[in-house]
Amino acid sequence: MAEHGIRSLRHIRTAGAAILAALLAAATLSACGGDESGGAVTLKFWTHTHPPMIKLNQTLIAEYERQHPNVRIEYQQVPNDEFDTKMLTSMSNGTGPDVLNLDDTTLRGEYLPKRLLAPIDYGALGTGSADELKARYLPRTLDGASADNELYGLPSEFNATAFAVNTQHFADAGLDPDAPPKTWQDVAADARKLSGAGHTQAFSFLYLHSGWYTQQLQTLLNETGGTITDPGHQKATVTSPQAQAALKIWTDLATGAGRAADPNRTSREATSPFSDLATGRQSMAIVYPWAMEQIRESNPDTFAKLKLVPLPQVNPAKPVNRWYGYYWGVSRASEHQQQAWQFIAYLASQSQRWLSDVKFIQPVKGWDTSAAGKQVPGLDVWSAAYRQGKFDEVAPHFAEIKDAVMAMVNDTVFDHVAIPEASRKAAETIDRSLGS
Amino acid sequence: MSGPRSKAARVGRGTAMTVAGLGGLVFVSVLVYAVLTALKPASEVLSVPLHWLPSTFEWSNLTLPFTETPFARYFLNSTVVGVSVTLLNVVTCTAAGFSFAKFRYRGRDTAFMVVLATLMIPIEIIYVPLYSLVYSLGWVDSFAGLIVPAGTSAFGIFLMRQAIGNVPDELIEAARLDGAGDLRTLVSIVVPVVKGPMAALALFIFMLNWDSHLWPLLIASDDEHRTLPVGLSAMQADNLGSAAVPMMLVAALLAALPTVLLFVTLQRKFVEGVTMSAGIR
Amino acid sequence: MAVLSIRPKAPRSPAPSRNKPVRGRRKAVGALFAVPALALFLVFAIYPMLRVFYLSLFDYSLTSPPEFVGFENFTYLATDPQFGAALWQTVVYAAGTYVPALALALVLAHALNTRTRGSGLLRLLYFLPVAISWVAVSVIWRVVLNPDGLLNQALGLHLNWLTSSGSAMWGLVVMGVWKETGFFLILFLAGLQSIPDELHEAARLDGAGAFARFRYVTWPMLLPVTAVCSVMAVIRGFQAFSPQLVLTNGGFGTQVVNLFVYKTAFENARMGRASAVAVLMFLLLFGLTLLQLKVFARRDR
Repeated sequence: MAEHGIRSLRHIRTAGAAILAALLAAATLSACGGDESGGAVTLKFWTHTHPPMIKLNQTLIAEYERQHPNVRIEYQQVPNDEFDTKMLTSMSNGTGPDVLNLDDTTLRGEYLPKRLLAPIDYGALGTGSADELKARYLPRTLDGASADNELYGLPSEFNATAFAVNTQHFADAGLDPDAPPKTWQDVAADARKLSGAGHTQAFSFLYLHSGWYTQQLQTLLNETGGTITDPGHQKATVTSPQAQAALKIWTDLATGAGRAADPNRTSREATSPFSDLATGRQSMAIVYPWAMEQIRESNPDTFAKLKLVPLPQVNPAKPVNRWYGYYWGVSRASEHQQQAWQFIAYLASQSQRWLSDVKFIQPVKGWDTSAAGKQVPGLDVWSAAYRQGKFDEVAPHFAEIKDAVMAMVNDTVFDHVAIPEASRKAAETIDRSLGS
Repeated sequence: MSGPRSKAARVGRGTAMTVAGLGGLVFVSVLVYAVLTALKPASEVLSVPLHWLPSTFEWSNLTLPFTETPFARYFLNSTVVGVSVTLLNVVTCTAAGFSFAKFRYRGRDTAFMVVLATLMIPIEIIYVPLYSLVYSLGWVDSFAGLIVPAGTSAFGIFLMRQAIGNVPDELIEAARLDGAGDLRTLVSIVVPVVKGPMAALALFIFMLNWDSHLWPLLIASDDEHRTLPVGLSAMQADNLGSAAVPMMLVAALLAALPTVLLFVTLQRKFVEGVTMSAGIR
Repeated sequence: MAVLSIRPKAPRSPAPSRNKPVRGRRKAVGALFAVPALALFLVFAIYPMLRVFYLSLFDYSLTSPPEFVGFENFTYLATDPQFGAALWQTVVYAAGTYVPALALALVLAHALNTRTRGSGLLRLLYFLPVAISWVAVSVIWRVVLNPDGLLNQALGLHLNWLTSSGSAMWGLVVMGVWKETGFFLILFLAGLQSIPDELHEAARLDGAGAFARFRYVTWPMLLPVTAVCSVMAVIRGFQAFSPQLVLTNGGFGTQVVNLFVYKTAFENARMGRASAVAVLMFLLLFGLTLLQLKVFARRDR
């Protein structure tokens, strides 16, 4: 091998000719494309991995296929860590799904700017117009999947943020579960007592992939009034005092004076992010409606001891919450867009079952007064949280920004970099991303 | 290893062997630890202080990857892809080696140089256009996409050219005088002589393919086509908690088993392949 | 037994003078045997390589047609701290892993170059990691490198191997040395075994001590193998990908170039920029290989 490296230099000219021939051969090869079989329609449907949701999806797909014998649904779950990569590459070259399920930040951060999704087909949905559709949902809840006044998806789940405490642990530490922490300082104080009672993993943020880092920081940013970029997405704003304050809350609870757990011992399971809370290792956690259901299924004993309380606040007098949703959408590259929207219409029509079976809250009007809605544990906490929330601001190339946020948090939490320094570094990365 | 040896030399050798032996124990301790931990009850993994032996051997852990994940499917896929790629390589590289070693034609040396130059292209670097190309062939999420682009190798061609170059020309001429065509000469005269290097090549390619991660990660997105490295990586991303440690270790060790067994039984061939490729012999 | 040289000696390579000229149609038939391999190469290696060079001059996100931007991708990379960091981290990983692995392999090869019964088994202990795929090795080492895992407990340390910039790289390096030493041990052993015993005997009769024999017999004879090993080490080092993806996902100062390319291309859909990185890496590797060969060739003389 080695010898030929040197000799090959002398042959570069002759190699050039061979390479040209190769180019021609390859060009003719790449001219051939895929094919499309006629007759029955096959819809590819991709979601992330969340076992309770997968079960209901499979049931609904079976029902839909029975009702529509000419439609076949090919359902695939993408592992959560590979999700963004897999989805984006397959979507952008047309091998992706017809129907997909995406969170609103990814949707607005990557898919809509890249024009990968088809706008809603109101005819196929059985609603005449956008206004008619919007009238079915709570105000602004469809905004998670909208760009330039056009709607691109229907919510499969719509989440606000709350807090869960383990009443057993609280009792062990002599704390009153009916007086849960109202501020992050309260969380730190309670953590000290819990720690003293042997519950050393009192409260921890989750260190999964960049999406998780960003959504947790965003929750804190909403409370401190900070942002990641300016509204026009021209410049990073993570160095602002408000943004640094949010990062400080996180860092203090992870490693600082208010240290509430060892972040190196926090479990990192992308399919069951709440396993520490669910197995009774952890005493307090930030939770979402779907998460509570997952805990109930996997660890009913711990679930019985959990109490759902409002999210701790920077300013409890003016609580702020964070919204995020997953939406069903249709690929612009799909050749069966109408059928795809019809299928989505069926999925969306089952919001009562999404509530009762999976505890996915779809923000249709009256969900909380419906029969299934009233069964949702902690309904009052969720209802209040929904009233105080807002969607994240997302910039184009949001994946790069999420990476920068993750690196910033890792810097302060695991590498003990000072907050101003870490946020300055993140700002530089984000600015470069925004500027290119 | 002949001739008189001084006492000092023997002592020196003894010391060297002892040190190498201790090092070997350190090296293998990682695998011993992995095997023993794989058989522990989930509550005992990562215990402090470290207990090497499980309190009870949980043999049921061995089936966890099969019951909890599509591990069997990943295994099958890796086998199908590995065997196909290996066969393809043996055929294409032997044929090309024959051509480069025993025929003279215009452009032969240039073509060979181009092939060798590609050894210096780290394959990862061309994945962007390769992905588009394979997509346009309609081979994303297909075995063709996993197999065909890996169907030949510069290393293999180099190795087979070397090996066939050693086959005496007289042997080939004799076959020709007997009226054998070139293909028959290759199959019935050359191949029996170079069986050894071909086996070495096969082993080497199979092991290389068993290790292949990035390309299958891009090209195989569904469980039907995921190979072991991609599947393992996905399983691991989903199950990092200590409860899943035994399952992940069982999966990793089972995934390692075929190549380890092949290697142990065919160690000679592997060494031959590596050294031949490096031009040492 | 074997001829020790990087350059295949005359009998091994089909030197024109020794080859009986093949006449007539045979030439064409002979060329045909190379066609399957060459066709695969042209389509799946050379064409993509050229395409990488081409795409490196474009802004291309897969979803919209490529837009020509000249050398913009390169000028971006020239000032990109992330690319700089990736390059540096690759060098640290490669050097950190392969310098010790090569040194260890060289020493072990001397110790194990005997035909005693034990040495065969001992070699196997070092060879085993070579036979295990990188991903499987990573999965195993995630447990070894756990704060409560084997490494910390064996050494009495309390390091967070995979979650701190101070140690993540070194955790991967320790794993890399474990995985890769055996590979080079194979090469060095083969090299040692191809040194005729008579040379050592002659040196011994001349009164050369163990060190002198190594310095004046083994080392020069081993130089070609060392050259091959060092070229391979650089290539393998720069191809690092799986452990970084599986164990740290590039966090804590372990974002190697391959992972950077992968993320730039397939997570962030900046295909043009990723291609530019690929071009730079190709040139760098090509240059490094030539440089190494030159250095070793000069010493060889």
